[in-house]
Amino acid sequence: MKEIVVISGKGGTGKTSMVASFACLAKKDAVLADCDVDAADLHLLLESDFSFEEDFYSGELAFIDKSICRNCGRCAKVCRFDAIDFCELKYTVDEISCEGCGYCARVCIPNAITMNKRNVGKWYISTIKTGAQMVHAKLGIGAENSGKLVAKVKSEAKKIAQRNNLKYVIIDGSPGIGCPVVSSLSGANFVVLVTEPTQSGLHDLKRVYGVVEKFNLKAGCIINKCDINDIVAEEIEFFLREKKIEHIGSLPHSPSFTQAMIEGLSVVEYTDIELKKAVCLCWDKIEKIINKKECVE
Amino acid sequence: MKIAFTTKGREWQSEMEPRFGRTDYILIYDEDKDTLIIFDNCEAKSHEHGAGPTVAKILIENGVNVLITGNGPGGNAIEVLKKSSIEVYSGAIEMSVKEAYDKYKNKKLPRF
Repeated sequence: MKEIVVISGKGGTGKTSMVASFACLAKKDAVLADCDVDAADLHLLLESDFSFEEDFYSGELAFIDKSICRNCGRCAKVCRFDAIDFCELKYTVDEISCEGCGYCARVCIPNAITMNKRNVGKWYISTIKTGAQMVHAKLGIGAENSGKLVAKVKSEAKKIAQRNNLKYVIIDGSPGIGCPVVSSLSGANFVVLVTEPTQSGLHDLKRVYGVVEKFNLKAGCIINKCDINDIVAEEIEFFLREKKIEHIGSLPHSPSFTQAMIEGLSVVEYTDIELKKAVCLCWDKIEKIINKKECVE
Repeated sequence: MKIAFTTKGREWQSEMEPRFGRTDYILIYDEDKDTLIIFDNCEAKSHEHGAGPTVAKILIENGVNVLITGNGPGGNAIEVLKKSSIEVYSGAIEMSVKEAYDKYKNKKLPRF
């Protein structure tokens, strides 16, 4: 089983479109994992059926037992997140503002405050339109993605892959370079960087590659919308050569990307044959690289 | 020397875990006493953020001298480890704990 993580650093480069295409090309050889949980959208392109769901708990939330509370207000005074409101003569916790630090519970003299596990959303196992399985999650209002949730989604996807002896786990990675990305990347066999020739595309590529490089992971790059700025495109190619990152392929800017998305299709299912060919070539190359033994060294 | 490993199981034959902060287990081998201590890492794994720095803290508190892991600690965890004298070696992936130990002994693992 090989773990392929697709990340971009910058949003809007076509990362999820690529993941959906790879899912359609790998068919039942792959399990999908959507670790871009802040704005999960892979399920829209892959027709996930949400057949299994479970609550996900992460972090803590303060709760005031009003029958014990003596209204002294110490909790509201110490709260650094302004999360304790006084309304209708009672102190209550504003669940969206509460960060779960537990300071209020510590200072409460009659012990009216307990710290409970916070339900931040749900995670799912779905069957997608290719017949393959996908693990994903949805966050509740005000909840944020975390290394813990990413680790959960990934480990469930890996379990399915191991149980069924499948070739790949394809992971739609988290944005940025923080805790969720570190969690998305660690353990990967191959990293696919999706970028675009814009200043922020290049900047964020370099930034996120810093994490990939530290972890000593093998990486390749797809330059999407490669024809929108020749100068930056060249700079990206120069960066790839300098860092010995495999240049998997370049895709032209095309309205087909958006059109396919509107129709709920991946790029490879859409009628644009040229684009489909180019994306298929990218996937072929990824398969070749990853099946050449020892991608972990 | 106390050597810590990030692992998927509780024995020398167990597979190494490439993750640092969210590893399943941490095994600490005390070379002088020839003992193996097993840490179940369920506590750090349950943190929504900052699992890495938590594990770094566990290593420091237990007087570990050498860490052997897979991909290596993330940015925050390495900042914590730098403040200690723990030597970090990475690249111990897809091998058993025993194999990782032998590789370290033969100076075959890269310093992180």
